[in-house]
Amino acid sequence: MSNNVIEVQNVSRAFPVPGGEFWALKKINAEVPEGSFVILKGRSGSGKTTLLNLICTLDKPTEGIIKIDGTDVSTLSDYEKEEMRRSKMGFVFQSVSLIPSLNAFQNVEFSMRMAGIKPGRERDARVEECLRLVGLGNRMTHMPAEMSGGEQQRVAIARALAHKPRLLLADEPTAELDSAMAARVAQLFGEMSKKEGISILMTTHDVGLMGAADFLIELENGERIDDRKEKESGSES
Amino acid sequence: MLGISLLKMWHKKWMNLSLLLGCILLVATAVSFPLYQEAAYDRMLQDEFNYFLSSRGEWPAQLNMSIVSKKDKGGASISAMEELLPDVYDDFGVKEKETIYYYALQRNGIHSEMLRNDAEDLYAKLAAKTGIEDHVRMVSGEMYSQSGLTEDGAIEVVISQDCMVKQGYILGETICFDALTTYENEPLRLYIKGVFDKSDEGDFYWMEKQGELNEVCFMNMDLFRSMFTGEKAGGFSINCYYYAMFDYNSLKASDMGRISNMMDYYLYDSDYSSVIDSPLLAELIEDYNNKHSRISATLIILQIPVLIMLAAFLLMISGQMYEMERNEISVIKSRGSSRAQIFRMYLFQGVVLVIGGAALGIPLGMAMSRLLGAARNFLIFDFSEKLAVRFTPFAAIYAGGAMLLGLVCLTVPAIRHSRVSIVNLKQQKALKKKSFWEKIFLDVICIAIAGYGYYNFRRNSASMAESVLTGKALDPLLYLSSSLMIIGLGLLFLRLQPLILKLIFTIGKKRWKPAAFVSFMENVKNGRKQQLIMLFLIMTVSLGMYHSAVARTIVENTIRNTDYKDGCDLVLKEVWTAITDSNGAATGGYVVPDMEKYVSADFIDSYTKVINLDSAKVTGVQGGDVNVRLMGINTKEFGRITYVDKRLLGKHYYEYLNELAVSENGLIVSSNFRDKLGLKVGDTISYSVSNVGSASGVIIDFIDYFPAYAPETMTQKPDGTVDTEANYIVIGHYDYMSGKLGQVPYEIWASLKKNADENAIYDWIRENDVRLTKYINRVKDLDDARSDPLLQGTNGVLTMGFVVTLLLCGVGYLIYWIMALKERELVFGVLRASGFHKKELFHMLINEQIFCGLFSILAGFGIGKLTSFLFVPILQKAYATTDQILPMTLITNQWDLIRLIAVIVTMMTACLAFLTVMLFRMNVAKALKLGEE
Repeated sequence: MSNNVIEVQNVSRAFPVPGGEFWALKKINAEVPEGSFVILKGRSGSGKTTLLNLICTLDKPTEGIIKIDGTDVSTLSDYEKEEMRRSKMGFVFQSVSLIPSLNAFQNVEFSMRMAGIKPGRERDARVEECLRLVGLGNRMTHMPAEMSGGEQQRVAIARALAHKPRLLLADEPTAELDSAMAARVAQLFGEMSKKEGISILMTTHDVGLMGAADFLIELENGERIDDRKEKESGSES
Repeated sequence: MLGISLLKMWHKKWMNLSLLLGCILLVATAVSFPLYQEAAYDRMLQDEFNYFLSSRGEWPAQLNMSIVSKKDKGGASISAMEELLPDVYDDFGVKEKETIYYYALQRNGIHSEMLRNDAEDLYAKLAAKTGIEDHVRMVSGEMYSQSGLTEDGAIEVVISQDCMVKQGYILGETICFDALTTYENEPLRLYIKGVFDKSDEGDFYWMEKQGELNEVCFMNMDLFRSMFTGEKAGGFSINCYYYAMFDYNSLKASDMGRISNMMDYYLYDSDYSSVIDSPLLAELIEDYNNKHSRISATLIILQIPVLIMLAAFLLMISGQMYEMERNEISVIKSRGSSRAQIFRMYLFQGVVLVIGGAALGIPLGMAMSRLLGAARNFLIFDFSEKLAVRFTPFAAIYAGGAMLLGLVCLTVPAIRHSRVSIVNLKQQKALKKKSFWEKIFLDVICIAIAGYGYYNFRRNSASMAESVLTGKALDPLLYLSSSLMIIGLGLLFLRLQPLILKLIFTIGKKRWKPAAFVSFMENVKNGRKQQLIMLFLIMTVSLGMYHSAVARTIVENTIRNTDYKDGCDLVLKEVWTAITDSNGAATGGYVVPDMEKYVSADFIDSYTKVINLDSAKVTGVQGGDVNVRLMGINTKEFGRITYVDKRLLGKHYYEYLNELAVSENGLIVSSNFRDKLGLKVGDTISYSVSNVGSASGVIIDFIDYFPAYAPETMTQKPDGTVDTEANYIVIGHYDYMSGKLGQVPYEIWASLKKNADENAIYDWIRENDVRLTKYINRVKDLDDARSDPLLQGTNGVLTMGFVVTLLLCGVGYLIYWIMALKERELVFGVLRASGFHKKELFHMLINEQIFCGLFSILAGFGIGKLTSFLFVPILQKAYATTDQILPMTLITNQWDLIRLIAVIVTMMTACLAFLTVMLFRMNVAKALKLGEE
């Protein structure tokens, strides 16, 4: 199964609470194949963000193994994890997460700088390409404060894509957008996964977006409750 | 509402702690100045009393009253005086040290009842003085008894040893006044019961001059009163003296206003003004008040920049707070809260903080003022002598003022912010505004005013020196000019800094590593927020440099001047007794003092004879004789114990001495003498000393400065103006001069051994019975110069100002950065999540510290240097005295700079360490959730 970008095997995560432990995730198994767009679905408190934090190596599982591109992340040092995050992953967060002192172009360019992509015409061209892709080709020099929430979120997506990561992780990226915009973002993710071969894992509780995904992973109270059938139907639609 | 406020404060405990710290510092600083000043004045007052005590040999705090009660019917005037005396202490509000009543009957003829051979007429004064028992030691016999009378009715008296010797009395004899009788016309018989000596030679109880006790017989005071005063006073003429001695040790500077007023009342306005006198205390009060007003004016001026910075500090912190609370305020506003409600909420918060600040700030301020009192030079402390600090009403006013200022700084911005609803806020955030000062060119204005001030003071420096010498305080504008210069240049730097940064950034725009890139962009876009803290840093460093230069310069110049003025370690001139012939006419010769004792004095390292006469004349020149100082020296020995800085002379001091050494009749003459008479090397001049003789010599060189020689004397005329008079000097060989002129009284110039004790010198003088007409001790003079209150106070306030600004700067810097980083927590979270290494985060922090901190510090150094260079030479004139001889020079000390750098680097490192820990401990996942709500 080497074409799975993410493999989650029997992963559990417990948090200490007064009088014992709270299991936010219980024996989760999941995988995300290369070039697929997967939605991680569930209500608030179902464990979506916890799982996402584990996958992006910001957190460590209490039990179980997480593999990224076949590598068990628990074997990596902090530095190696950071290197992996900056070169192989792209992130879109729920809240607007642009660097306020950089304009749209510079924000996108920044992730390429981080990934160590050499400056030059190619890099600039890629930045412009990504911004056009999210429909902001004419607002490249605008500062975050001069853009609406939806526009900022699209810049964030362009930033997450610019350095051509293997994996894009998006935590409720549509939470602050209207439904039309949310649908466009979901559609954009679907297109990007096909066009650029990027695997995308997005959390959401917005049922209207499920159709855009290749398949779904659904969590409830820290357990996976979806079955294969749902996945099939998701990929067909 | 109060509950909400408290809850809100608890939720933002870190921010409120910062604000509390700001309030504590504000109150502490504001309070420490008056506390220190009061304590310093207290010390100055005690110094003043002690100085008067030691130099005048009289109790400096006393009122003297004297009346002559002549045939005083019913003794009304005496009893009036006796009743007045206890009230004096109450009126002055001082403690009593000793009250002395001294009554003496007029001098009358007396004879012994024993048959005696001496036919000389005897006179005596019968007297009584309170407290005599405590101030005498009985040499023989006894003190008079309780009743004061012998069994046969004679009055028991005691007499001084001098009296006994002078009058030839015998212990136990009875003497009887020739004509003076008791009120009842009985003969007045005295029984000499005892002979006393003063128990302590320096006792201020004994105010009588030498010989004044020679005819006085002291009797029991109660008996005196019953025999000669009251109803019986009409029969006698009594000299009555009353002395009210104040215990000055308990006097404080704050008492002086009251005492001064009381003095005026008693001496000029009261019913007793004609009989009360207190020359010493009056002089002391005037002296003290003059010093006090000059010092306080100077010290207040020196405090101004610190107080300004304190207010700026609080504004900065509260501004930061409102910046962070803007969202909250605008949300509350939008939900319908009135502006008054919002204001009340912040007012309550402010009151809590300010009260807390006062509770902790006042003790801290007291500790700080103790530190101030230990300042000996800039940033140099000596804790051996502790300053007694006490809380005064004056300090309470300062504390109240500081609390009010704090409250204003904490609440007034709320008024502005409470106007903004969430909608305006969003609009405002999108706008970038130029700072107010940038728009009105405050930097240019400040520099222009300071430049004008500089130009003006440069031009009028002569008249300024004069006004300072006549006792006026330093012109506040002068100090203000230097402060404005620092602020103006600091702001100018803030205007230029972003441009410089932009330039550096553009050079490597595409190549900057992520950490550098973010730092640059952050600074380019948001640098304006940092302006206040940067200005703070700049001002701290430059004021530190400037103040250290001021302190160093005035102290060192005073020391140098004293050093030069004294000439060498020890100068002694004995009394030379003229030899007279049998008719009593001077023969022109002197009894030469014995020189052996100098050889044996073990505190002297080496010594030489010096002819040093200030009343010699150069004769035979145009325009009549000219008064000159004539010095005759042994070049080799003289050179060993004296020195003049090469910078004052143009060539080495020893070169002059060497030139003189090889020319037998050579003379070195002061340059101003050359200029006056148009002399040149090779000219021959004649000089004479009145009553001694004359000689001539050849000029071999001209000199500007020579040990102990003042080219000019400044004297203050009665009308207050200052007169400058030129002094000329002619220096030649001791041997040549004494050979040609004949016997001339000389001085002994000596260098002392290391650790030579001043007391050893006094002992030696006493043991050898040396009678001196001149005594100069450089070690003592230097000590006196260093402990001058104006100098010490200046050092104290400047050091204090620096310590406070540094503290504020450190705390302010830390608070600023903590808040700035908190504000950017989300960005850091994003960066970390995207794979930013800790090392890069650290680099970023370092970069930003360099842009903000290091740049400011470097600018501060430059500005401090420039301001010192421009203003210290003017400012130091405020510390000039009429005995200033040497030209003042700007003195900076490498160590001051190093100490300053060390302190600042320590502070910055501590800040950086704290921020690094804070940043590294940040929970990335948590940071990312910030915006979720």
